[in-house]
Formats: sequence, structure tokens, C-alpha cells
Amino acid sequence: MTDPVLEVRNLHLSFGALKATDDVSLTLCPGEIHALIGPNGAGKSTLIGLIAGNLAPDAGQVLLNGRDVTAQDVAARAQAGLARSFQVSAVAPGLSVLQNVALAVQGARGGSFRLFRRALSDRALTGAAMTQIDRVGLTARRTVPAGDLAHGERRRLELAMALAQAPRAFVLDEPMAGMGPDGAREMTTLLDELRHEAPILLVEHDMDAVFRLADRISVLVSGRIIASGTVAQIRANPEVQTAYLGEERLE
Amino acid sequence: MRRETLLNLVIALALLAVPLAAQALDEPFAITLATKVAILALAGVGLNIALGLGGMVSLGHAAFFGIGGYMMAVLATPVQAYEPLMTWPIELAGTKSMPLIWLGAVVAGAVGALAIGALSLRTSGVYFIMITLAFGQMLYYFAISWPAYGGEDGIAIYVRNGFPGLNTLDPLHFFALAYAVLLAALWLAHRLGGSPFGLALAGARQAPARVAALGIRPYRLKLAAFVLSGAVTALAGALYADLNRFVSPSMLSWHTSGEIMVLVILGGVGRLFGPVAGAALFILLEHFLGGISEYWQLFLGLILLGIVLFARGGLIGTLAGREVPHD
Repeated sequence: MTDPVLEVRNLHLSFGALKATDDVSLTLCPGEIHALIGPNGAGKSTLIGLIAGNLAPDAGQVLLNGRDVTAQDVAARAQAGLARSFQVSAVAPGLSVLQNVALAVQGARGGSFRLFRRALSDRALTGAAMTQIDRVGLTARRTVPAGDLAHGERRRLELAMALAQAPRAFVLDEPMAGMGPDGAREMTTLLDELRHEAPILLVEHDMDAVFRLADRISVLVSGRIIASGTVAQIRANPEVQTAYLGEERLE
Repeated sequence: MRRETLLNLVIALALLAVPLAAQALDEPFAITLATKVAILALAGVGLNIALGLGGMVSLGHAAFFGIGGYMMAVLATPVQAYEPLMTWPIELAGTKSMPLIWLGAVVAGAVGALAIGALSLRTSGVYFIMITLAFGQMLYYFAISWPAYGGEDGIAIYVRNGFPGLNTLDPLHFFALAYAVLLAALWLAHRLGGSPFGLALAGARQAPARVAALGIRPYRLKLAAFVLSGAVTALAGALYADLNRFVSPSMLSWHTSGEIMVLVILGGVGRLFGPVAGAALFILLEHFLGGISEYWQLFLGLILLGIVLFARGGLIGTLAGREVPHD
């Protein structure tokens, strides 16, 4: 087996008496989509925060390409090749689609301290940005301020920004949240292609998409991973069914 | 041409036309007013780099304005007293040359902003406002208790400093200098706004969490912008001191910080020509309302309230519409 790109070892984090993350370990290997599912309040967002560097664990390690990044901040982990998208779209609303994606390219390549060049007449910068904008299908909307985009478009912009970072690993926090069925289908196709560029740790509520895309699924309940395996294994797991999938069926 | 570009051009030409007309009509006081507009606008352009581009609400920019003013006094008073500026470790003479004084002011303002910004930017929101205010007031009280430069009374510079090839005592010449410096600062601000640096700064202001997740640390970007901002405002302070031929601690007081911020808000936060429009409106109000009533600032307050409530883009925003991302 190849070495994992992203590895989480025995992470612990408590907020007072609440164990938000309780001895979580998982790996993300090249070419795969590893889905992380779990009911609301299971600690998925906390785990993403720990992986991205927004939160510091009480114990445990986060490794990126085999290197321990537990002590590094968000920006350092991004530079090391971790791209994350946000559950609630976090794009700069006053900047255009192109500017937002150009900013992501700039983050990956450096050069944010160039004071006098014109950012958007830099061919290398806009070229790389436009490639990703074309991929997510926002070409016609490139000059629109991100704040004026429709919800689904903003989710796609999120993804274009993560893509523009040319990352080693994606951590995508509910990329399909609030999208209609058509949008979700397009996004599924896109994510399926993406895995060849870098593996994806996918947090998602849309079970159809998860079952279609995931190579492996880990189920998080009350801060603990209660099961991990292939789609078939997870579907067949009785513990998972009572803890999670049962609820879904009742809806 | 974009509507805002056109409006900016009209404002720039109007500010140039007033003193020329005043010269023709032999109204030197109007030239002085226009010069004051240009200098206050310059201070505002400085603040707007921090406030508009970087989203840093600094209530301590009087510190940099005053640093520029006092730098002028420090360099020019030895000359009028026929003394050297310092004798140890090297003998250094003062100067009455504006370019050198400007250089001194810009450097001092940048160093001051680096020190104040490095500490203040560890906080955010209301704490940032308070800490910049506190630093400003510290310098204010320092100036009051600094006898070498007149303490509370301030100090007069009897002859305006010189500029090669110009007669700075001629109001029109001095206006031309202030106007040229203002245009240069506007050009700087414009280039900054469209540069990769400006893009990252706008991102850091609008979506700080995202910018960090892209691998860009907002702290250093903001600090660099704060330093540039302080340097430009200090340059305005040096010119303002030369306009009045007088420096006093009031340049450092928080009222001055407030005035600079008010004129930026009047004109339009983050808009290139916001400070110019704001400074013009401010001076016009001060002059005409001040002539009608001693309490003109009450009316200024009402106008400010109106703008904050109903016209968030200030004067520029009202006339040119909302800001569009420039490409």
C-alpha cells in the first residue's frame, strides 16, 4: 500500500467535559475519496478544524506527506498542500470570481507582497485561475462579485479556489450543502475526476453522493469513529445502521 | 470610462481650478483653503490604505500626522536657531529643505507605524480601535511635556521651508507642491489596490479565515499596509506643519484622528478619491457653517450621521454607485 498523504493519529480534543474528538485516527491515501459521515453534532467540523489547523488537539498528531504538522498554523498547512473548502461559503464577497480564484493561486505560489504589479494583468496568475473557473463552469460569471453569486455558484467557487491551490490533499466540508439535485449531480461528477489530482477527505450529508463516490467511509458518532470500511461494509454494519443510517431512513 | 473614474477626474480638476481662479480673482485665502484640502486629503489617503484596503479602524492616525509635523520642527528649528541638529555621535545640521524633511517624516512615520502596528494588530475589532487610540494619546502627552519643542504651546517655524526651484511662500507654489504630493499618493494607493498585495489584503479583510486557509498570513499583510498608511499620513503632517508654519500637540490629539477618519467616511471608505471629496466637504463645511455658527460641528455630526445611516459609500458612493471589483 502507498503511503498516506494525510494521516491523523489518535487525536483528542475536549471542550470541558465534552469529548468533541475522542481518539480519532484515519488515513487518506493517493487517488481515493474517503468519506466522513455522521449525525449532526458528531464532531465532523471539529475534526476538520483539527486537520486544517484552526484547532489545536489535546493529544495526537496530524501528518501531511509523512511530516508532522500538528504544531503548524493554518497558513503553513495550506502551503504544505492542504486545501479545504468551507461548509458555509467563505469567499471574499467584494472580490470577483476571478479575483477570488487568483487569490488562491497567489496563496499557493507566493507573491502577495508584490506592491506595484497589476495582479490581474499577470498572465500566469489569471491563466491558472481561469483554468479552474472553466472547470467548475463559472466562466461566464468570472467578473461578478462573489457576493452576488447564487448559492450553488458559490459552492462551485469554493471548489475552484481549493483546486487553484494545486493541493496534495483536499478536505471538503459538505460541498453539496444546499445544492439542488442537478447541482449535486454535476458536483459528484466533478469530485469523481478530482480524486486523480489529489485524494479527498469528504464530509457530506448527501448519502447518494457518498455511496457513489467513496472508496472508504468512516462513521463518526459522538467524537469517535465507530466504523470504517468500504461502502458495502458500512451499509452492512448493524452498529452504523442504528447509529446513523436508521435515522436517515426515517426522514 | 467608468463613472467613478470620471467623477475622480472632475474632483481632481476642481481642486486644481479653485486656487487658479482664486489667483486670478486675487483671493489668496481661498488658495490656502484649497491647500488645506489637499493636505488633509493626503492624510486621509494614508488612513484609507489602513481603513479602506486593510479594514483596520485606526483611531490613532494623529500619531503619524503629528510625527510628520514634529519631524519638520525637529529638522527645521536648529536652522532658525543657528544650531546643529546634533553633535554626537556625528555632527549633523538641520535642514530647511522640504524634500529632506519629507523623507524624514516618511521614515519616522513608517517606523512609528511599524512599532504601533506590530503591537496593535495582535488585537482586532474594538480593541484595535482602543489600542491605536491609546498609542496616539501617549504621543500627545509626550509632546505636551516635551519642553524642547514648546510643550503645550507648540513651536513656530517663522519661515516656510524651501523647495528647489519654487518660492514656497507664494501660496500658489505651495499649493502646487501639496497637490503634486497628493496626486503621487493617490497613484500609490491606486497601484496598491490593484496589486497582488492589494488583492490579498482585500481577501484578508473580507474573508480572513479563507485567506489563511489559502496559505496567506493576514498579520504581515496588514502590518505592511499599516506602515505604508502611517508613512503617507506622516508626510501630510509635515506639509500641514509647513502650511501653518506651526507645530503643536493638537496635531497628535485624538480629535485630529477623529477628523481624518470623519473626512474619509464623508468621502467614502475604501474609495480612491473618498478622502479628497471628504476633505473638500469638511473644509467647506468648516468654512461656511463655521461662519454662521460657532457650533458648526453639530451640523457636521448630523451630516455624518446621515451618511453612515443612508449612504454607506460616502460622497463617492452616492455619486458613483457601489464599488465594482476592478479588473
